[in-house]
Amino acid sequence: MNVQNLTKLLAVGVAGVFVVGSSYALLQELIKTSTLQSVSENDISVEQALLVAQGAIAECQKNNSPVTVAVVDRIGDIRFAVRADGATADDIDMARKKAYTARTFRQATSDWIKRTAPDAVDAKGKPILLTGQRLLENTITRAGGMPIIYHGDAIGGVGVVGSKGGDEMDEVCAKAGQQAIADQLL
Amino acid sequence: MSKIFNTMTAAGIAAALCISATAASAQTQSVNFEQAMAAMKAALAYSKKDGSDVSVAVVDRDGKPVLLLRGNTAAPHNLGLAEHKAYTANMFKMTTLAWRDKSMPGQPDAGQRDMPGVVPLGGGVPIMVGGEVIGAVGASGTRGGQEGDTACAQAAADAAAALVKRLQASN
Repeated sequence: MNVQNLTKLLAVGVAGVFVVGSSYALLQELIKTSTLQSVSENDISVEQALLVAQGAIAECQKNNSPVTVAVVDRIGDIRFAVRADGATADDIDMARKKAYTARTFRQATSDWIKRTAPDAVDAKGKPILLTGQRLLENTITRAGGMPIIYHGDAIGGVGVVGSKGGDEMDEVCAKAGQQAIADQLL
Repeated sequence: MSKIFNTMTAAGIAAALCISATAASAQTQSVNFEQAMAAMKAALAYSKKDGSDVSVAVVDRDGKPVLLLRGNTAAPHNLGLAEHKAYTANMFKMTTLAWRDKSMPGQPDAGQRDMPGVVPLGGGVPIMVGGEVIGAVGASGTRGGQEGDTACAQAAADAAAALVKRLQASN
């Protein structure tokens, strides 16, 4: 082996160490930046919440029926809530619970009630056994809550209380509220 | 003599019963949906000009919330604080800024701070209609601290009260 070949080998070795070392460092940097980034998520805004409430109220107004509406954000806290004239003070909390239940289970509360019924069975007749969910705090087994979904992600919920048609009509109005921003959530 | 007395007593009781049977129920005014919405719009307008993200609460004359709104980038405490400010302003029938100073430790009214649900922080303003308090507005999260929150809530309370006056004028 002559000196020339030895130099070549050394050069290749040094280059190799440099490449391995630098790519390792780069990888470390990439991992660092990606893991240190805070979580970025979508959430319902005040502006959207107002439109949702407006949609729900307008729908029930057709029946000359004032309603209490609550819109919750992705963690289930009130973004906007308003109580109808003459409604009991508790209605705001009831509406919040409907919105919360719809948000957290990502479905209409009427569907959730059926799913968590003690005798609920799936398509094959097998018991679903989800009644325990009803024991969770802040949930309510009443129709009138709808989730607000954006790209499969529940960013909020809306709950309606006090319409003349009872819980069924509450749900119709909550759906109207949900639809009020549907075109923004495509 | 005792017979006359008995008759008079019976007549008195009958009269008292009659009065209680015909007595009118107490009538009070309280903030309604439209006023609450007007207050909220005024607060949001203030907040927009301010470049902040305010949280707002409107309570009725019983101190119960009629309207709640949490700003998009609000801190977790903002809406709760707004509600307590509104509750406090409604209860003591004055701005919470004034009440904060009036109930300072060492002041004769300092004990008022021991009541549940009150908060000695500026940002709560009562909605006054003809010298009567019909509810209150609480604001939290403006740029100007307690003074800014008070200015925001004042604008909101004024908007709600103005709506009442317009309604009364048109009646």
